[in-house]
Formats: sequence, structure tokens, C-alpha cells
Amino acid sequence: MKAERIAISFQHLHKVYPNVLAVKDLTLDIQQGEFFGLLGPNGAGKTTSIQVIAGLVKPTSGQVIVNGLDAVRDYRRVHRMVGVMPQEEVLDSWFLSVREILVYNAGYFGIPAREAGRRADELLERFDLGEKRSAKVSELSGGMKRRLLLAKALIHNPEILILDEPTAGADVALRRQIWQLMSELNAQGKTILLTTHYLEEAERLCERVAILDRGELLAVGPPAELTRSSHRDFVEIELASSAPRDLKLPGLNYTVENGKLRLAGTLEDEHVLEVLNALAREGVKISAIHAERARLEDVFLEITQGFRK
Amino acid sequence: MIGFYTLWKREMVRYLKGSLDTIAPPIISTILFIFVFGLALGSRLGAVGEFPYIQFMLPGVMMMSVIMNSFYNPAYSVFQSRWQGNIADFLASPLSYSQMAVATILAGMCRGMIVGLIVLGAAFAFTSLPLAHPGLMALYLVLVSLAFASFGCIVGLWTKGWDGVNAVSIFLLDPLVMLGGVFYSLEMIRGVPILEVLTQINPFTYITGGFRYSLLGIADTDPFVGLGITAMLGVGLLLASIALFWRGYHLKH
Repeated sequence: MKAERIAISFQHLHKVYPNVLAVKDLTLDIQQGEFFGLLGPNGAGKTTSIQVIAGLVKPTSGQVIVNGLDAVRDYRRVHRMVGVMPQEEVLDSWFLSVREILVYNAGYFGIPAREAGRRADELLERFDLGEKRSAKVSELSGGMKRRLLLAKALIHNPEILILDEPTAGADVALRRQIWQLMSELNAQGKTILLTTHYLEEAERLCERVAILDRGELLAVGPPAELTRSSHRDFVEIELASSAPRDLKLPGLNYTVENGKLRLAGTLEDEHVLEVLNALAREGVKISAIHAERARLEDVFLEITQGFRK
Repeated sequence: MIGFYTLWKREMVRYLKGSLDTIAPPIISTILFIFVFGLALGSRLGAVGEFPYIQFMLPGVMMMSVIMNSFYNPAYSVFQSRWQGNIADFLASPLSYSQMAVATILAGMCRGMIVGLIVLGAAFAFTSLPLAHPGLMALYLVLVSLAFASFGCIVGLWTKGWDGVNAVSIFLLDPLVMLGGVFYSLEMIRGVPILEVLTQINPFTYITGGFRYSLLGIADTDPFVGLGITAMLGVGLLLASIALFWRGYHLKH
């Protein structure tokens, strides 16, 4: 964790739509400068939670505190600190050009026209949209629209960036480009709250993640810690010669079958070394080793499926 | 104030960029009214008081175009932003809810007054008007456009589709305007069953009458009653619009 101060604090946030419980008593703190991921299947309550900060959802009860300010009561000051990239490609597209969209958005944040134009030009160049500055949104590709949405969220240089499924529907190249941009922004000190379906994305970028399902917070922690707690690491050693029947590897969960020794559970490097030493002592030759760490995806499925049962 | 100005400018640019669709049609239809009712039929209707029919009719037609344009601009713009989703740009910004409402309404007022003044200018091509009380005329223009832009803002928040805006116009505004003395004086319909009563109880009659007084210097209703009704409507509907934005009515889930 890079800082002590809390950037976003969800405090017993509860949201009920007619007949649907969207968020159930969510309590969660995100530190300043942190890259935090909200994970969950559709309908988990991720978007609803962040839309309270963006002024688009009224909480049924509870509150969200942003840098010490209530997101509902002090909405104007909170909005100055927060940039939001929405999930849908929602842009004021009817009569404004790409550059005008950025300039007008800067204006809503109180930035004078000249400075707004300068920032718009800078962001358009940074996001490879310079050639499209006079184009209408309808002339942009899907990837360009996503980059424009990100530029729009950054136009007022917010301390906190909230990205709702930023790479949904993006091709591999664009996804990597957005990852790169998010990492750079985080390195500059911005707090990033990301919602995503892509667990690889969360694993790669986020310092901590929270797993939500059906409005409930199920787990929080660094991805590595969550995966370690899942006990789903896996190592397979292919044996070139048969293992002795009385091979003993105390404290390890293993099987020997069809010339393969399989280890599972929470595996540290010393566990594997211990096995290799034991096999060497017994004179067993090894032809190959396959190792697979538990992935966030496994943990995610384990937690959400366990919850649904 | 930069945020407020930017939103107002956005609303202005929205209709000025599409002025062939937004400004030109009401002007053309108003000129047609003047041409058909004022010039073609007016000569057969004779004078109303000391004024030829076309002069009598013009203030009402001008008022009608101010009402409709002030109404349509915020009604369509607010609904379009809700429907498209870009209302989130304003809601997620540091603009206050009253700034959002007032900027939207102010742009609607500007459109109503721009169209009204163009119609007035066009009217001089066909006839002359004495402009008896220009200060009162300006006050009427501001208050009428305030009232109906605020009403349009409320309808833009309330409606669930484009048809809702048209339905309010057809079922509410058109009858009130048409039965509000735009094309006739109270004297002309004296004794006509239903129409006389409907016209007398219609608050628009007093608004139209007062505005006519500001232009022609004659009135069959008390111009200050009309001014009072318009001011009350204007302030009341403006406050209601702000309250709805504040509550997030049809804006926030």
C-alpha cells in the first residue's frame, strides 16, 4: 500500500431497486494511490456501487466517503476529485465533435476554455485521437470510442479514476494499450478503482481486489493472497522410471499414477524441492515437470459458486 | 460560473447548429399563419377595435411561437440527454442541480425569445405595429419564456418517450393557446356557447391579452393580471424544475 489515507470508503452501502437487492451492506476501504479491482459476475453490484460516487444512483442506506467527503451530500466537491469512465459508450455525440466533447466536459468542471482546449489537444494526442479531433463520434471505431471515454474521464485531472469495465469488448491490442495507460496513471499517483469481468486484468494490474456476488462482498485481498488461500496450486512430475512403492512425502497432498506424481494444494518452492530431493534419493529419474499456480479465476469461481450454493 | 455557462452554451449550440430543424420551421409556420389568417382572411374579418385583424392577431401568433419554442427546447434536450445517457456528463460534474436546471431553462428561454423577435421582425414585412409598451413587452417575453421553458424541462424529465413531449403539446398546450384569444377577441365570441366560457377561464387569455396590450396598447383583459399569472407560472415552474433535478427525478436510479 502506497499511502495511509483512505480515498474511497463504502460504509454499509445498501441499495435496493424495486424487487432487486443490488448492494447489500457493502463496507470497504480503498487507499489513496491504490489500484483496486471490483470483481463479480453480472448483477454483482459493481456498477451500482460506483455509480453512487458518480451521482447516478441514490443509496437506499449507508454512504460512500471520498477523501473524507460524503459522495451524496458533498457531491460537487467529490465530483471534482473523481473521473468516471462508464461501461457503455455514452457520448454527447449528436452535434459535438470529438474535441468539442472534451472541451465541453472540461467546461462542466469549471476549466476555462483556453486551458480546456490545451488539455483536450494533449489528451487527443496521448490517446492517438489527434487525427479525429474534428470527427463525430459516429465516425469512430469501438476502440477509439473507448479511448475517448478514458480521455473524457481524465480531462479535469482527477485524483481518483473509476473505470467501469474499461476493456469490455476491446481487442487484444486495445486491451493492452488501456492496461498500459492505467498502469501509467496509477504510477503517477492516481487512485484507480476498476470493475472488470476479466480476471487476468485484475490479477495483472490490481494491488487488491474485492469479489462481489449478488450485492454481497465475499472476499477482499491482494490477488496473490487470495489465490494462495485457495489451495489450488498444482505440480505434475513425469517419472522416467517407476517410483518405489514405499515413497513417503509427509505433509504433502500427492498421488502417483500412470508414471506421474501429482502434487496439489498450497505449494511453496521448498515443497517442490523436497519432492525432487526425495525422488533423487530413491534414484527415480524425472522426464518433465509441469507446474501451475492457482489463478484468480479459480478462486473467483470457488468463492462465487460456493456462495451460490 | 464556467460550468453553468458551458452547459448553457451546449444547450444553445444544440439548437443553433441544427437551426434549419429548430429555428426555421416555427418561423415559416408563423409566417404562414400571418399570410393565411392575417392577409387572406383578415381583410374579410374587418377591424378589431381600432386595429386591422392582422395587427390584432400578430401579438397572439408571436406569443404562440415564444411559448412553443421555449417549451420544446428543454423538453427535447433533457429527454434526449436522458435517453442517450449523456445526462451522466452533467450529473457526474461539479455542477449543482439548480445550475443544471437553470442553464437548461435559460437556453430554452433564449430560443423562445429569438424566435419571437424574428417573428416580430418578419411581421413588419407585412404590416406595422405600434409597440406601445416595449418595456412591458420585454418583461412578458422573459416571463412567458421562463414559464414554458421550465414546463418543458419538467416534461423532459417526466416523459418516457418522444411521444410524451408531443402529447403534452397537442393535448395541453395547443388547446390552451388556441382557446386563449390568439385569433379572436373576447368581444368577437360574446355569446358563443362553450367557447366564451373556455376562453374566459383560460389563464392564457390573460397572458395573450397582456402581451397584446404591450404591443398595441389595447386590451380586453387586465394586462397586469396577465403579468401576475405569467410571473407566478414562471417562478413556480422554475422552482419545480429545480426541485425535480435536486430529487434526481428520472435522473438517478
